[in-house]
Amino acid sequence: MTDQSTAPDQGTNGTAGEGFLSIRGLTKRYAGFTAVDNFDLEVPKGELVAFLGPSGCGKTTSLRMIAGLVPATAGRIVVGGQDLTTVETHRRDMGLVFQSYALFPHMSIARNVAFGLEMRKVPKDEIARRVREAIALVHLTGKEEHKPAQLSGGQQQRVALARALVIRPSILLLDEPLSNLDAKLRDEMRNEIRDIQKSLGITAIFVTHDQGEALTMCDKVVVMNEGRLEQVGTPVDLYERPKTAFVASFVGRTNRLKAVAKDGAAEFAGQRVPAPAGLSGPVQVMIRPHRIALSPSTGSEGVTGTIARAIFSGDILQYDVDVGGQIVSVELATRGGETVLAPGTQVSLSWRPQDIFVYGAAA
Amino acid sequence: MDERPVSLTLKILAGVMFAFLLAPLIVVLPISFSGDAFMTFPPTSWSLKWYPAIFANSKMTAAFWTSLVLATVVTTISLAIALPAAYALVRLKPAGAEVLSSLFTAPLLLPTIVLGLAILIVFARLGLLATFPGLVLAHLVVTLPYALRVLTTALATLPIAVEEAASTLGASPFTVFRRITLPMMKSGLIGTTALCFLVSFDEVVLSIFMTGPRISTLPVAMYHHVEQQADPLVAALSVLLVVLSLVVVLVVDRTSGLAKTFVK
Amino acid sequence: MSAATALAPALPPRRSRLGLIVALLAPIALINAIGFLAPVLNLARMSFYEVEPTGAMREVYTLATWAKMVTDSFYAELIVNSVSVSLGITLLTLVCSYPIALYLHRSTGTWKTILLVLVISPLLTSAVVRTYGWIAILSDSGLVNNSLGALGLPPQRMMFNLTGVTIGLTEILMPYMILALLAGFGRLDPRIEEAASTLGAPPFTIFRRIILPLTLPGIALGCLLCFVLAVSSFITPKLLGGGRVFLLATEIYDQAIVTLNWPLAATLSILVLVIFGGALVLYTRALRAIL
Repeated sequence: MTDQSTAPDQGTNGTAGEGFLSIRGLTKRYAGFTAVDNFDLEVPKGELVAFLGPSGCGKTTSLRMIAGLVPATAGRIVVGGQDLTTVETHRRDMGLVFQSYALFPHMSIARNVAFGLEMRKVPKDEIARRVREAIALVHLTGKEEHKPAQLSGGQQQRVALARALVIRPSILLLDEPLSNLDAKLRDEMRNEIRDIQKSLGITAIFVTHDQGEALTMCDKVVVMNEGRLEQVGTPVDLYERPKTAFVASFVGRTNRLKAVAKDGAAEFAGQRVPAPAGLSGPVQVMIRPHRIALSPSTGSEGVTGTIARAIFSGDILQYDVDVGGQIVSVELATRGGETVLAPGTQVSLSWRPQDIFVYGAAA
Repeated sequence: MDERPVSLTLKILAGVMFAFLLAPLIVVLPISFSGDAFMTFPPTSWSLKWYPAIFANSKMTAAFWTSLVLATVVTTISLAIALPAAYALVRLKPAGAEVLSSLFTAPLLLPTIVLGLAILIVFARLGLLATFPGLVLAHLVVTLPYALRVLTTALATLPIAVEEAASTLGASPFTVFRRITLPMMKSGLIGTTALCFLVSFDEVVLSIFMTGPRISTLPVAMYHHVEQQADPLVAALSVLLVVLSLVVVLVVDRTSGLAKTFVK
Repeated sequence: MSAATALAPALPPRRSRLGLIVALLAPIALINAIGFLAPVLNLARMSFYEVEPTGAMREVYTLATWAKMVTDSFYAELIVNSVSVSLGITLLTLVCSYPIALYLHRSTGTWKTILLVLVISPLLTSAVVRTYGWIAILSDSGLVNNSLGALGLPPQRMMFNLTGVTIGLTEILMPYMILALLAGFGRLDPRIEEAASTLGAPPFTIFRRIILPLTLPGIALGCLLCFVLAVSSFITPKLLGGGRVFLLATEIYDQAIVTLNWPLAATLSILVLVIFGGALVLYTRALRAIL
């Protein structure tokens, strides 16, 4: 399965902690606002890392600074021990796959893929061989002489990937590569990019605003918001132990409920939940809809509420429950045969303590 | 889209106005085949004598060659100067780029009669009047703004990501320009070439101020000829010029689309 | 250009970038300075130079030429005449161009392309050629008078007077007006007309109440453009007016080339620019009133 000749030439993995890609204090300021603020990151060799965040969070600017397309205001970018901070884009040796594919419209597919090798003055027969291999890798054999405009969106995306990979870049950068594809193709390309990245053992950064893509594809996820790094961790870390309210609400779906904290506990709908020490006053309590258990009210236990709305969508039955004036969404996986409770029904809600997160209220 | 009915009144009105618009160009054709010594319409007799007469007229042929060489030189220099300028303004974005590009296109806002007079006064002192370099310089003043406008538009509408992609693949800025930017600007370059050539070749107001007995351009020679005698010679010449314009338009249309080049 | 413009990677990027920008913009800046800025500034200065009775010009500043504009009734008349003739031609051009523009806007496909080529092609033909065509139509032995003669009607003088100049200039300016109108017709959504129609408006009412108001910005732009071009054109007035129609542009040419009174020509040129400024102010006001 692994084709040795297309694998990068670099030696063994770097030691843990010391990243292959090392970003320290990276900052980009424009007149009047800071796009990226003091960004630190260590990426070990061979990992696929996602930069995840809403639009304008600084993830694309960070990627463009790594590629050298945007000069950094401050900070260092080091790859394999070499400081690249002031090196020009064309000497950085990184493969970038653009959201818009950015294929050269006036060149054939083969010429597009060959371009980077020509720039490196690779001998002609080797160019021919490597272009052939790269095109085969992305399953486009037979399309070599087509122009980009003759291919579908998904095929153009594959060409862009082959063009970036054929130069055996030190790092593969992917800027929202799937956002212009339709849903079915997106799932297909997700797996394909992941498989190619793993089989080549290449270090890659994947910018996306889609938390599903980040969680399913990547070894590690960097969540960014308003130019700042919110949390770095594995997909499980982020989902199960979100450090900030932003991460909790951006990664996966969640209920955000208002509560009041006092003496190390937050009180919500008559129930006290443990809160981090030091929090007092208004706080946010978060809990994921499918981590809540729902039972017909018996009056005594847990939190009680009234069903405001029931939404049946096949695999999931969702109830919006009115609890003391706040709506709590509850999701139940359907197994067949359940009766949908009518609005107005009294129910009681319960959850495990580790599933609840408490954060200071947003200003 | 569905065909929308156009009212008969509008059709008739538009037809009449189109006839009015094209009348002076249409009448020129039959007159060029006139057998009369002076211009009457309709001609009283027919002949082909006026076409060879053009080539026997040394003033006209000299002026034609001057115009042809002038337009070629002016077009070449316009491209050579406007292309780097457009690149600097659009891609390197210096501070005050907008002020600079308004300054560089300002000559188009000035009526040519005023510009012609202004240039006449300065060029007279520099000894550039009625010289070929003087004509080239005067024409550049009006062709450069056109060239700059078309080329900056062409450059600004290119997706910059394509150039960035080439740069990440290891191409130096100059290589990116030569291998990626320039080929993608093809239609803009063709449009600029055609526009500069036609503007220079048809330019008459500035040229009238700049020419003299020693050197003349074709439009100026025709103007002076018509001023003295409106014989069918000019009609024959006009037909040739209209054909030339049409050829240029067709070439542009074939290679880059007419509407794209001339209507925004 | 010297070899110094070669890229030097050793330089700090900011310095080399500035150097590159300067090198790339220098040629166009130079031509702009020699062929545009210097001549225009010089023109303004020239209007204050003294002209001796012999016609010789002296580099002594005086307001005499400007005083002449106010005192000599010939120039007052010239200005009023130029402006009113240009206004008339502009209105005539609008009336003639509007049906073509509307028809073009409504046609589609190849037919539209053909019509567009027909509108643009006169623009690509020298004004001398088109004016010559009008001479063929309007002169004493031209199409109109020969047709009148064939019908047994008396000949009409149509050239070497204002009639000829007006007809010729109107036709010359039509392509500009049509293109300006077309640019402004973008707001004309056929569905708005259909809506008006379903609400019971007859065709002419739709035109008056819907189409015309929506196309006013295009009309204003076209009128500004054509007025400016009419005031400054002189090939057509010269050839069709035969020296009997006096307008600002033709007077500038005569003073510059024939009489060689450059201060007077310069002063008239500045007046043309002032009229332009006035037209621009009016246009901005009109646009603000419309939108």
